[in-house]
Amino acid sequence: MIRLEHISLQRGSFSLDDINLDVQSGRYYFLMGPSGAGKTLILEIIAGLKDPCSGQVYMNGTDITGTRAEDRNIGFVYQDYSLFPHYSVAKNVAFGMKMQGKSPSDQDKKVRELLQQFGIAHLAGRSPQALSGGEKQRVALARALAINPSVLLLDEPFAALDLVSREECMQGLRDLHRDNGITILQVSHSRDEVYTLADEVALIDHGSILQTGRPTDVFSHPKTRRAAVIAGTENILEGVVRSKAGGLNSIDVQGVTIAGEGTYPPGSTVVLCIRAGDIAIHTGNEAPDYHDNIIEGIVASQIITDYTCTLTVEGPLPMKVTIPRKSREQTVFQNGHAVLLSFSRNHVLVLPAPTMTDQ
Amino acid sequence: MEKLPKTVNRGSFDKSILGFWLIGGLLVLFIVLAILSVAVPELGNPGHLAGVITDPSVLLTLGITMIAGLNAVAILVLVGTPLAYALARSTFPGKGLVESIIDLPLILPHTVAGLMVYLLFMSKGILGAPLGNVGIIFEDAYPGIVVAMVFVAIPYYVNTVREGFETVPVRLENVARTLGASRFRAFWHVVLPLSSRHIYYGALLAWGRAIGEFAAVIMIAYFPMVISTLIYYRFATGGLSEAMSVALVMIVICGAIFVLFRLLLKKKGGHDDQA
Repeated sequence: MIRLEHISLQRGSFSLDDINLDVQSGRYYFLMGPSGAGKTLILEIIAGLKDPCSGQVYMNGTDITGTRAEDRNIGFVYQDYSLFPHYSVAKNVAFGMKMQGKSPSDQDKKVRELLQQFGIAHLAGRSPQALSGGEKQRVALARALAINPSVLLLDEPFAALDLVSREECMQGLRDLHRDNGITILQVSHSRDEVYTLADEVALIDHGSILQTGRPTDVFSHPKTRRAAVIAGTENILEGVVRSKAGGLNSIDVQGVTIAGEGTYPPGSTVVLCIRAGDIAIHTGNEAPDYHDNIIEGIVASQIITDYTCTLTVEGPLPMKVTIPRKSREQTVFQNGHAVLLSFSRNHVLVLPAPTMTDQ
Repeated sequence: MEKLPKTVNRGSFDKSILGFWLIGGLLVLFIVLAILSVAVPELGNPGHLAGVITDPSVLLTLGITMIAGLNAVAILVLVGTPLAYALARSTFPGKGLVESIIDLPLILPHTVAGLMVYLLFMSKGILGAPLGNVGIIFEDAYPGIVVAMVFVAIPYYVNTVREGFETVPVRLENVARTLGASRFRAFWHVVLPLSSRHIYYGALLAWGRAIGEFAAVIMIAYFPMVISTLIYYRFATGGLSEAMSVALVMIVICGAIFVLFRLLLKKKGGHDDQA
């Protein structure tokens, strides 16, 4: 469907380096990375709004690198939705059809259909300034879909929304993708959005793609330290392999020995990635015998959300632990209390230490 | 009981800004005094003023000035608008130099501007000679007035309109282009309407600058006279009172046009602030 081959672009001190991407037809694909990683630039190159210095953009096997933006038939929704402020909602949605030379009656019919589909028919005559964030997003989507695009590019479409609108819009986009089967390429830095919507994700940082794959694979098995950081791995530690036996590494991390699945030779410097949700926390001196790794610590602080509680535990190894909110209400962890942390060796991802280029 | 802090009534005058008004208001007073110094003596002699207003040579000169100003603005709108857009949307080495060239008429003494226009458009000038061959004469002719007006008004129009274009987010154009609009159609349907206030205002400033030009105009075209030339001529030949009558007519017309324009812009509203 969309394929980027060796795309490079220099913009001042920032550069996209040898970007290769393959988005299959009908997939919901995410580009995930921190601000300034080059995600929007990649979307703009695909849309034809920026010319790459080198490399090719293919759509359905055809090289469209030199094709003008207006001839690519690609829908684009920016983070701020970029509705035309001098047009009503209906005129915004009709804009693309007007540019395509569709008759006014065809425009009206399609506008009515789309506004109905997105549940915003009552807003047809409104000015964009009078809309809420969620309404603006639906108008922007309706406008982009009005030209029957081959692919939809979404640049952080939930960034400007409140929590309730965000969840509604995520649901709306999931339904849209399911019902229309349209290929969507979305930029985000939210793991939740990727888990909820994505078929595939590419982690991007400093203008390079670090890793691609299914969200669960990428988030559970980041291949580099940087990918682990972007994937949101809460506990990333560095250590030295002490021994190797039967697919198991014993690793020394600041004097604490941690067992993890790995086959690195003794003496190797490695990176350990442990998800906060994979760590169990216990009060008192009860040492669970079902986990390979047990660490002592003291609760330093807690961040409580609707459903989870993330505790920062200090000790020989500073760790973050996320537990369901219900557990916290059942078992009270006070700041300053001594606790035991335990986790299984198969929840310890052992990666090679980053090279200078990885960093 | 604890004293509640004073609340600010948004509808009332904010007294904290009074100091700024007291200092800045001196400039307004300066202009008002200048107008009164012309208006009061003239209004005290309505017969003389009526005679000047109905004088065919004054009316003809007024007409030439206004129309030449409009012609100059029309040329600037046609040529200056694309230039303003190109400047707003481009970055290239030497852009600062181009911008400085555009600003040059702002800082040049008007006589120097007039000299430059004269050298270009005189009968033996680089542009004047070939255009003279096809029958377009600039020396002491109406086209000479227009080119002098265009020259001095360029920065007023181009800079104002460029600022307007810069307020329109590039993303709006980008979206328009992904929706099938060519670069020109995105400009026409999105950028231009959203910059309309700046375009109108730029045109008004350029027109005001154009009709007020004296030195640059007389260097190339003393005749036919424009209003500033006539005022100087009347002052030199008939004294202060002759010049003041024509000046008052000019003040009233220009003031009325500016007020009317502002009212129209206010009524029309603008999208520049919404972009």
